[in-house]
Amino acid sequence: MKVAGWIDRLGSVWVEGQLTQINARPGTRTAFLVLRDPSADMSLSVTCSPQLLDRSPVPLTEGARVILYGKLSFYTGRGTVSLRATDIRAVGVGELLARIERLRALLAAEGLFDPRLKRPLPFLPRTIGLITARASAAERDVLTVAHRRWPAVRFAVEHTPVQGPTAVPAILSALERLDADEGVDVIVLARGGGSVEDLLPFSDEALCRAISKATTPIVSAIGHEPDSPLSDHVADLRAATPTDAAKLVVPDAVAERNLVADLRLRTAAALRNWVAREARGLEMIRHRPVLADPVAGIDQRGEEIERLVDAGRRDVLRELAKQDTLVLHLRARLQTLGPAATLARGYAVVQRMVAGGDPEVLRSVEDAPPGTQIRVRVADGAVTAAVMGKVR
Amino acid sequence: MTDTPVSEMGYEAARDELVDVVKVLEQGGLDLDASLALWERGELLATRCEEHLAGARKRVENALAHIAKEDS
Repeated sequence: MKVAGWIDRLGSVWVEGQLTQINARPGTRTAFLVLRDPSADMSLSVTCSPQLLDRSPVPLTEGARVILYGKLSFYTGRGTVSLRATDIRAVGVGELLARIERLRALLAAEGLFDPRLKRPLPFLPRTIGLITARASAAERDVLTVAHRRWPAVRFAVEHTPVQGPTAVPAILSALERLDADEGVDVIVLARGGGSVEDLLPFSDEALCRAISKATTPIVSAIGHEPDSPLSDHVADLRAATPTDAAKLVVPDAVAERNLVADLRLRTAAALRNWVAREARGLEMIRHRPVLADPVAGIDQRGEEIERLVDAGRRDVLRELAKQDTLVLHLRARLQTLGPAATLARGYAVVQRMVAGGDPEVLRSVEDAPPGTQIRVRVADGAVTAAVMGKVR
Repeated sequence: MTDTPVSEMGYEAARDELVDVVKVLEQGGLDLDASLALWERGELLATRCEEHLAGARKRVENALAHIAKEDS
């Protein structure tokens, strides 16, 4: 009773949490609820009148975020403490988004979204840590797509709830286990689409800080394209969908192999082309006149010399012939001009030698007393003689 | 007319003088003695020219024969 008195004296408090159980049978006076801290493993029993639940503007369901006003009381019958709620307010979507926004601003101010903190993903991860719901579409998407791209891919899958009050603690411990695993090179957080409340665990402050603190690169693949929980911002890489995450963490082995094969073909082709081109060039050079017939140049010059020699001989002979003809003509004219023809017939020209002068033609016997030196010119030359006497 | 001994004259000089001799004789107007002397010199010049030409021809033919022998 003393305990009950102390607890009674605590007065009324505001408590926030997530409803995990609602037990309100029709006709009963009291509804039994369980309120849970979304980040920590703590719960509290709550009692209230059923009318209180009915009056709520937003239908209260299990998993809903609520703020309660009430008074703690000790139920002596079972020895448990419970909160007698006098007011329940559902935390609405707008309120949730506003909170996420406030948390986003806080984390951003702390620098948790800084691009410099982002760790690069390995090209070929040894083991991929996957945190997702058991048998979910997200799990199937990631595994199928990853296997299709790279058949040898290895996964370490941690199954956790991905919504509701137990999600965050389970994800936190899974994250811790995978981060500690040396073989895990990248961790994927995958969850399909859902309402803002469903995706709430992924905007949880504790989870965001854990993601930021983890040393293994983390890919956040939550919901569909337009969904953007805070885990997307603190993760090292944001994938729009789980399928997208699989594509990001695993290279497309077939595409890579095709690329390598293509590159190999291209290099080989390039080399073959190069060789062919060089061979063609060489062939062309080979067929150049100089190389095709090395003596052609010499032959050509030889012919030239021969031509010149021939021309020279021809010229000198022609010149000789020309001069021959010229002299022949001159001699012929000389013959007609001179007395040669007459001399040839047997006549002679007799000249008297004059001392100190040119010989003079002898025209009279008076000019040639005996002893006179004379010169007798006949056809083929001249003789000298002396006059012996006059003949009468 | 120059008095250079014909036997010492080169071909061109002998030929040129021969041409002159012929020209002068063709013009006429010389007395017999002069024309006779001129004519005789012309004959010598012509002979000299023929000797030169014969010598030249001989040299060419000798040279060609020499080359032909080396070629064969």
